[in-house]
Amino acid sequence: MTAIAWQRRRAAAGATWREFASQRGGLVGLVGLAVITLLALLAPWVTDASGLDVTRVTARPWEPPSSTYWLGTDHNGRSVLLLTWWGTRISLVVGLAATVLSVLIGTVVGIAAAHFGGWVSAVLMRFTDFFLVLPSLVLAIALSTVLPRGLGTIVLAIGVTAWPATARLVRAQTLAVEARPFIERARALGGGHGHVIGRHVLPAVLPLVFVNTTLTVASAIVAESTLSFLGLGDPTRVSWGSLLHAANMHGAVSQRAWWFLVPPGLGVVCVVLAFTLCGRALETVLNPRLKGER
Amino acid sequence: MGIRRFGAVTAVAALVVLPVPTPAQAQQAVTLRVAITQQVDSLNPFLSVFQAGTEVGRLMYDYLTAYDVKDQHPVEGLADRWESSPDRLTWTFHVPEGKKWSDGQPITAKDAAFTYDLMMRDEVAATANGSFTAEFESVTATDDRTLVIKTKQPQATMLALDVPIVPAHVWSKVTDIAEYRNDRTPVVGSGPFVLTEYRANEFIRFKANKDYWRGAPKYDELTFTYYKTADAAVQALTKGEVDLVNRMGPAQFDSLKDSEGITRNQAQGRRFNEIVINSGAATRTGEPIGDGHPALKDVVVRRAIAKALDLDAIIAKVNGGYAQRGTGPIPPVFADYHFKPESPYPYDPAAANADLDRAGYARGADGIRVSPEGRRMQLRLLGHASRAYDEQTAEFVKRSLAELGIVVDVQIVSDNQLNEAGTAGTFDLQFSGWGTNPDPDFILSLHTCGQRPNADGKGGTTDTFFCDPEYDALYAQQRAEFDPAKRRELVRRMQQRFYDQVPAVVLGYDNALEAYRSDKFASFPVQPDPGGVIMAQNGVWGYYGATPVASAGQDGGSNTGLVLGVVAGALVVLVGGVWLVGRRRGLRAEDRE
Repeated sequence: MTAIAWQRRRAAAGATWREFASQRGGLVGLVGLAVITLLALLAPWVTDASGLDVTRVTARPWEPPSSTYWLGTDHNGRSVLLLTWWGTRISLVVGLAATVLSVLIGTVVGIAAAHFGGWVSAVLMRFTDFFLVLPSLVLAIALSTVLPRGLGTIVLAIGVTAWPATARLVRAQTLAVEARPFIERARALGGGHGHVIGRHVLPAVLPLVFVNTTLTVASAIVAESTLSFLGLGDPTRVSWGSLLHAANMHGAVSQRAWWFLVPPGLGVVCVVLAFTLCGRALETVLNPRLKGER
Repeated sequence: MGIRRFGAVTAVAALVVLPVPTPAQAQQAVTLRVAITQQVDSLNPFLSVFQAGTEVGRLMYDYLTAYDVKDQHPVEGLADRWESSPDRLTWTFHVPEGKKWSDGQPITAKDAAFTYDLMMRDEVAATANGSFTAEFESVTATDDRTLVIKTKQPQATMLALDVPIVPAHVWSKVTDIAEYRNDRTPVVGSGPFVLTEYRANEFIRFKANKDYWRGAPKYDELTFTYYKTADAAVQALTKGEVDLVNRMGPAQFDSLKDSEGITRNQAQGRRFNEIVINSGAATRTGEPIGDGHPALKDVVVRRAIAKALDLDAIIAKVNGGYAQRGTGPIPPVFADYHFKPESPYPYDPAAANADLDRAGYARGADGIRVSPEGRRMQLRLLGHASRAYDEQTAEFVKRSLAELGIVVDVQIVSDNQLNEAGTAGTFDLQFSGWGTNPDPDFILSLHTCGQRPNADGKGGTTDTFFCDPEYDALYAQQRAEFDPAKRRELVRRMQQRFYDQVPAVVLGYDNALEAYRSDKFASFPVQPDPGGVIMAQNGVWGYYGATPVASAGQDGGSNTGLVLGVVAGALVVLVGGVWLVGRRRGLRAEDRE
């Protein structure tokens, strides 16, 4: 039984992959993601982290790009290339962690609301609506001001503000799935809540959640950059947002130091683009209605 | 987002600047346009405590006395001469005839008496400057020309009463000081400028007071335009939208180095930056409060921290070289009291490490030291979100202390959060900074036991929770010492004690970085001269004496300061030995920032 199930799953995965691979945009995004992730992971081995240490800096501040410093130096005389490279790590980690948090909350709330119905649904959905109408950036700013500053706070701030959309999406999908006869059959055969949700609803909802995750990462990274740019992040950790924040705070505009502003900005654009390309391609694969429209 | 914000600022600037009459008129109006980045909290001089707010107050209202532009000794304000009784308890000020309010009414001693009396009667009116009148026994105007002030005990600040004198005929009709916004233009005042238009956080417009008793300013209008960031203000300066900018960062200042038509002014500042070490926060009664790391009570650790910080590197990198190395709380601009230690702490991480090893702070398996009581050496460092300095210096502190095996957890928080943590003692290390005054009394008082808060966390302005019997004894001595040389020695010994005990590491004294359009304004008086500031003076000489380029020739150039100095010279004799120019009011929250 399980062997057959696995075989079937492997076949389905293979088919999905073939379809995904047939879309050039998705592939480009995937390759871009792989490269960026690899660079981020390899940073401690390939580069010298002591270059981030302001007390060991030898270069002058605000040096324009040269053969030694390809992207110039910042206000402390650190290499902007190195900072941008290391910034990838924090931006990715925060983006992914915040996404996991928000998708987790969203999925739990969405499935619970759809599955249990009645007053549970009413309460959960009003709760979701409440968060949906709150301007999420303002809420995130308020949260990260009240809580002690740091990575965890940023993750939390993004996570708890980004989930309502996921919850709504998952609820709709769960409702659609639960209306199908096989769920009714499972119930009639004595399947409890755990069984129905765990064995039937969740597997049917997961692909959608997965696509949603990919797309949420992009907005979470932008949110992280926004919050850090506003000075709400951890200032001693290098992220793209905090680089832009530092550039703004220490007068990069007056210095005309474009090399300090452009690389972190491009970093954000590249990662967000890669995630979006992947997400859209996946969406097309998993949602039959979108096929042929691309 | 940055661009959008910048766009909004420029849009505001454009709105503000465009209506200023530029078209060809027979007599073109000359306007000095100043960019400010700090908010004006209130136009009501009894309530305003922000630096920008008090500066606006100074433009509108003269004080009883003023500070000389050259060396800040007391000179004529509303009163032209004064004397004190031998016991220093009764002061008589003479308000000369001929000075007028901007509505034409004569200025009399009764206006001054009304102002001080209001502050003594009305608690709200004492909000901003109450410390000056707190020890007043009585204020009477015996006639229109004579003001007599009796104090309960000798007060060193009698010639430095930083209280804007308001017109009695206007303010006697005000029933609720707290609600009075003082923005009905034109606001009747006595200063060199009259407020004509005000929009909160946008701009403030003044007209020159042509009947000002010192003589009319050399131009017609003065506007302050509000900018959100120094960057935006500097852009406005380079584009010629404003004429004068201060509070620049080193990067912005450097960027103006070769700009055509812009002159920079690097002035000695009155501020110092420090890192406060929580050496045992306690209330006035000695009750410990807060949750500071216990190891910081050990002076060995505090000295090790002082030795591990490379002050020169911080000045070179963070201040861009525009600062002086820190020693005590009194900056070098006040040379009489500035402290130069005989044996300054060297930058020597190796020695600091050895000291800690010897004192029993052994390194754990992860390289982090553990105190003899078994607490891991992990310290929180709190900084202001509003200050670029804190953020950048925090990096240096974190890395430097990592060398010592001390983990620093940097927390950049809002100013309110920081102040709360400061008064509650819930910090280990904290950035702080104060502006100082010519008289050292106030800044030294911040470290006395009596300044610690009471049980509710209120009622004190301690900076460091420092409480040292030796220091307190010296403080009491210097306060009663009227011989300048002896007082200098006492103040030096106090700072030596402070330096030895390291309740805080004074990092450096910022230079004030300013720039102006020299193609439009030929010169500005600086205070003190030379090496002083144009904006944020102890007075408004910088605005008042600004000389537009067109009139520079007729006027004989930048002699304004000199002429005023000569006028003031006569008063020097009068003032005689009373040189205590103290300003006890000192520092408010905004100075702390």
